[in-house]
Amino acid sequence: MTPALDTRLFDPSRINLLVGLGIFLIFLIINISRARRGAGMFIRPLAGLKAVEEAIGRATEMGRPVLYVPGLGDMSEVGTLASITILSRVARRTAEMGCDLEVPGYDPVAATIMEGAVRQAYIEAGRGDAFRPGSVHYVSAQQFAYVAAVTGYMLRARPATNIFMGSFYAESLFLAETGNLTGAIQIAGTDQVTQLPFFVCACDYTLLGEELYAASAYLGKEPIQLATIAAQDWAKALAAATVVVASILMALGHPEVGKLLHTQ
Amino acid sequence: MRFGPLLVTFVTGALLVAFFFVPHHAAQEAQSVMLDWANVVYAFALVLGSVSLWTAHQKKVTTRAPGWIYSVVTLASLAFVTIWGCVQGVEEGTAVNAFYNTVNAPLASTMFALLAFFIASAAFRAFRARNAEATLLLVTAIVMMIGRVSIGEYLWPGFPKVTEWLLDVPNLAAKRAVAIGVGLGAISTALKIILGIDRSYLGRS
Amino acid sequence: MNGPRQSIWTRLLRLDRRIIFVLIALATAIPLLRPVNLPIAVSPRVRAAYDTVDKLPRGSYVLMSLDYEPDIMAELQPMAKAVLRHCFRKGLKPVVLTLYPAAPGLIEEALRVSATAEGKKRNVDYVFLGYKSGSQSVILGLGESIRTMFPTDFWGTPLNQIPMMKGHNSFADFPLVINLSGSSIADYYVRIAATRYRRPMILGSTAVMTADYYPYLSAGQILGLIGGMKGAAEYERLMDLFGDARRGMDAQSLVHVVIVVLVILGNLALFSSGGLRRS
Repeated sequence: MTPALDTRLFDPSRINLLVGLGIFLIFLIINISRARRGAGMFIRPLAGLKAVEEAIGRATEMGRPVLYVPGLGDMSEVGTLASITILSRVARRTAEMGCDLEVPGYDPVAATIMEGAVRQAYIEAGRGDAFRPGSVHYVSAQQFAYVAAVTGYMLRARPATNIFMGSFYAESLFLAETGNLTGAIQIAGTDQVTQLPFFVCACDYTLLGEELYAASAYLGKEPIQLATIAAQDWAKALAAATVVVASILMALGHPEVGKLLHTQ
Repeated sequence: MRFGPLLVTFVTGALLVAFFFVPHHAAQEAQSVMLDWANVVYAFALVLGSVSLWTAHQKKVTTRAPGWIYSVVTLASLAFVTIWGCVQGVEEGTAVNAFYNTVNAPLASTMFALLAFFIASAAFRAFRARNAEATLLLVTAIVMMIGRVSIGEYLWPGFPKVTEWLLDVPNLAAKRAVAIGVGLGAISTALKIILGIDRSYLGRS
Repeated sequence: MNGPRQSIWTRLLRLDRRIIFVLIALATAIPLLRPVNLPIAVSPRVRAAYDTVDKLPRGSYVLMSLDYEPDIMAELQPMAKAVLRHCFRKGLKPVVLTLYPAAPGLIEEALRVSATAEGKKRNVDYVFLGYKSGSQSVILGLGESIRTMFPTDFWGTPLNQIPMMKGHNSFADFPLVINLSGSSIADYYVRIAATRYRRPMILGSTAVMTADYYPYLSAGQILGLIGGMKGAAEYERLMDLFGDARRGMDAQSLVHVVIVVLVILGNLALFSSGGLRRS
């Protein structure tokens, strides 16, 4: 049956995904309730995020700007959304410390939203007057044109701190190596697994994969945000346990659980 | 509270999640239309982005900031491509297409080619046996670099099998583990946005 | 340890990166100017991709989506040429399209070179649909009606006037789908063409992205995987061609050797200068 003729209201081959999503939502609701009741939510220290504060302080002392590169994703990518949340926190700290912040945007929609987020962060820090229009600007939606502009800025302005957070692709090593050349302290985080090795080699601190998504909760320490991280961890534990059980059962000649995990 | 944007986000997000499970042709057509809307929004956003770009570089030119000549080049290119593209179009054979193929494409290829040099300098600096993990990284990198190219097969026919095993077993296992974490993190972040828990995209932290 | 020897190691640790750049430039240029033609072993993944194309009956249609731009053409253009020549040699009928705006020029060149080499004619033995923006929505559209997405071919001829396209209007009409790309477009094709429409599929990608698609191969969602310039060189070897990929592998081999030598020297310098104790 081709989809053009399909009149089904539910695809039964995706029931396992719906159940998984439902379980995740239940975990989310449970943990948000726990957070609202005041239950303590522990989140393990992330070296890269602890270093953000120190790195901004370093830039302030040196009188040099902080460069925040939000990645090459558009607003449909979760990495970009996570980056905007982190940017708000970073902008608030730079506003409080009186440090200059530069944010070159790759996607025009994301750049517009980031400008609003940074402006709001400055206002909330009580330094609305210090917000510099033009500090958050669109550069180019072409990968290497963007990289050329950002690396050019790095070499001219010599920022003391480079923060790379978001979705990066082939240009990740380009950015990180150029930043290394200028002597900046570099903190990176990306959900693009293939780029992690380049950031690990070239940056001082790297957030691996999902740590990027946890960063906003870590920096803000808001209970509801921490609750979503707890829900995520519960789901990950359940996924790992299911995979282990399914693997053992399959090895023993019982593939039923493994078949439940197949997607169509 | 900006109720309107939150409601639009919730309805749009919930609908797109639902469409994943609903194979009905009307739902799939609606999804396709919504994806087209995203392209239309992007087109308008390009105008915003272009204005932002123009303003930033115009300021550099008028204040004669360091490197203002490059801003003149940027402004001239932006104006030429926009105006000529609107007048003549961007298909094969037009000036804009020729400009793209003769200037932009070679420049992009050149920038990409520079990565080879950066990889070498990064490898020289980063692959040092400072501790156990770094030594493991170093040894694996050397085996992979030699084993994945013709010279590895020339030196020892077993090299390709070793590298294939490294890619198929430990590398794939680690990638899958990180991918599961990233996938769950993406669901969590997306749900936070859809449900309005995270509103940073509205300009509120 | 005496003074001069110690300073050599310390100098090596602080080697100017411009020297590294010069060495890499030489290692790249020399093999390209004087090819060595080092042996290439074919991996099971590329062999599987080759066999999938090879087993198709003569006259079968293949839908090829070539989604790359000039920055990654070094890896994917030789791949495209090798696969196209394979299709032409087997008497298959490739219908080619792209979802990248800067790709049509590259694809037109690949088709022209491959077709000329195998004596094939446009719109008789192959069709080039050109570029369409939209990525996922286009791929979804290909599942319903190619003509809705591409009313004409790249040169403006309506598809209804191309005899080769008669009776072929959606994924269901193609026994094989091939996607060569360096981006997440491959994931869309796997989700839509391979999973939803159950089309046999082969992927080709850049070397960095290849490892991302191993899970699809091991799950059986794709039948073959061609990774990077090495994969393209392996395909050329199976085709008994000496193209850009095999030429490039000589350069890549020497560059890798230079990097490994530099890394080993760097570590020797680290140990000799006592850097390990200090770090």
